[in-house]
Amino acid sequence: MNTTGMEFAHIKELIKDKIQHTYLDKYIKKPIIDEEKLFVLLSVMNHTTLTESKKRDYIITTMLVQIALDTHDLVVKTSNSDEGKQQKQEKQLTVLAGDYYSGLYYALLAEAGDFDMIHVLASAIKEINEYKMKLYYLEAESLEVFLQIVRKVESLLFVHTAKFVKEVAVKNLIEEWLLVNRLIHEKQQFYVKGYSPLLDIWSHQNDSEGYAALIKNVDSIINKLLGTIEKSAMELPDYYRDLKMHIINRINGDPTMDTIHVEEG
Amino acid sequence: MKIAKTYGYLKKDLDCIEVALSNVIQAEHPVLRNAATQLLKAGGKRIRPVFVLLSGQFGNYDLERMKTVAVSLELIHMATLVHDDVIDDAELRRGKPTIRQLYDNRVAMYAGDYILARSLESITMLRKPKAHHVLSKTIVEVCIGEIEQIKDKYDWNQHLRDYLRRIKRKTALLIATSCKLGAIAADVPEALADKLYKYGYYIGMSYQIIDDIFDFTASASELGKPVGNDLLQGNITLPVLLAMKDREFCRLLKNAFSNPDILSETHMHDLLAKLKETDAIQCSYELSDHYLEKALKIVEQLPNNKAKHMLKDIAKYIGKRRS
Repeated sequence: MNTTGMEFAHIKELIKDKIQHTYLDKYIKKPIIDEEKLFVLLSVMNHTTLTESKKRDYIITTMLVQIALDTHDLVVKTSNSDEGKQQKQEKQLTVLAGDYYSGLYYALLAEAGDFDMIHVLASAIKEINEYKMKLYYLEAESLEVFLQIVRKVESLLFVHTAKFVKEVAVKNLIEEWLLVNRLIHEKQQFYVKGYSPLLDIWSHQNDSEGYAALIKNVDSIINKLLGTIEKSAMELPDYYRDLKMHIINRINGDPTMDTIHVEEG
Repeated sequence: MKIAKTYGYLKKDLDCIEVALSNVIQAEHPVLRNAATQLLKAGGKRIRPVFVLLSGQFGNYDLERMKTVAVSLELIHMATLVHDDVIDDAELRRGKPTIRQLYDNRVAMYAGDYILARSLESITMLRKPKAHHVLSKTIVEVCIGEIEQIKDKYDWNQHLRDYLRRIKRKTALLIATSCKLGAIAADVPEALADKLYKYGYYIGMSYQIIDDIFDFTASASELGKPVGNDLLQGNITLPVLLAMKDREFCRLLKNAFSNPDILSETHMHDLLAKLKETDAIQCSYELSDHYLEKALKIVEQLPNNKAKHMLKDIAKYIGKRRS
């Protein structure tokens, strides 16, 4: 992945350094840094006139929040009474790791005296948790509405950050791109593990259709979205060249983006 | 820490804080809203708001600003409790079902994250860099303290300093921070704000030591959990550390915990009885008193006002806590 200005690999290393914790790393899985989200954020920040240190702080803290939220999603829904010592410790450390990453975001921005950005990210966390509750209790009358909620959960943090740095033109593209990436990821999960945590929420309540029909439905939504995204990416202003090229290359060159390919595989 | 005098003195302002707390946690999602409201209604001693208000009275006391700080600190404490209950698989808190028990772990995680986010949203209304430095460092330290607590479980070779560092992070820092933030919000001069911070730190240390003593001396009904629950969970607190100087207790302890999964009630009964035969409880109270004396010495250096007397009363009240 290439971007002008700040380098992708460098910023990813900075995030890795930030979340490094000897004890946590030994007993729980290292958090995944979502590269698509990082790339979008980097593209947005590189276009702004903010100082390099501000850009860096905003990228690292937004990603820290994402990592914290993702980490808490890994906490088991219910604790089994026959939970072993190792399982219990893993659960406990997963809770604390998420809290720790959240604390780091606040500490970094507090150090910079950036109260407004602390507020922006806190508001995003608040809203995302409201949407997560809607997802959890499946408050959607149709698949479209369900996916609208997923879209919010996936993109709210990045849309809030983009709005804060006055980059509003890419809002829809960010939302659609992050949604489509999540759907493709979930579909891959289904093919590899036979189970998609996200799609399972929907299929559980609507099992009359069956999983095969759901995947077919999701495929058609992905295809539709990719068409819209490609069109929007082509229309992006020149200063978003990196993001435009990245999206178009992935849509046309990445086999995971090809829904038919995945289906046949 | 219900001292009628202190609460009476601050009642009006504490009532305002209670209303503000309730308003802040009105989430849109009904389950999220109910979960947070139930947690709030379960009560609590509100000691952090009390310290914020009392510290603020050494400067330009503005209720709106004090309220912002007090609400934020209480919310941080609440968020920590919700996640702690997931960590401990706790079914009850203050005699009421925990959020994870009423709903499940996932809802508790979302509720905790939501409450913490509301707290940070609220505290950004206070535009004082120093306050945010102190608070953010404390939040990170509290997390590190909890991780250390898990790391130190069943480690019989740990030292007194490990225990003291743990309780500093677990309890004392947030109380010290409550004092300091109240002071900062009221533009109290830095040297005085630092004294209030130290007072809060010593009080917090003393308070946690006494709580750790109660784990062995109070009844199960008073505690709302089994007697010796900390030890059952593998947490080595001061009374145990001190009792381990006794060879027989040490032998019983290591024997009982050779396989914690099959720890019997008889094992625990024998252990608790033996612990009480040692001077561990007495020595633990002495260390708690040592911190209280330090807190009282700080109080003597504070300007003379009503808040000073209240801080003194609180310290004395903590010293008298016995079960």
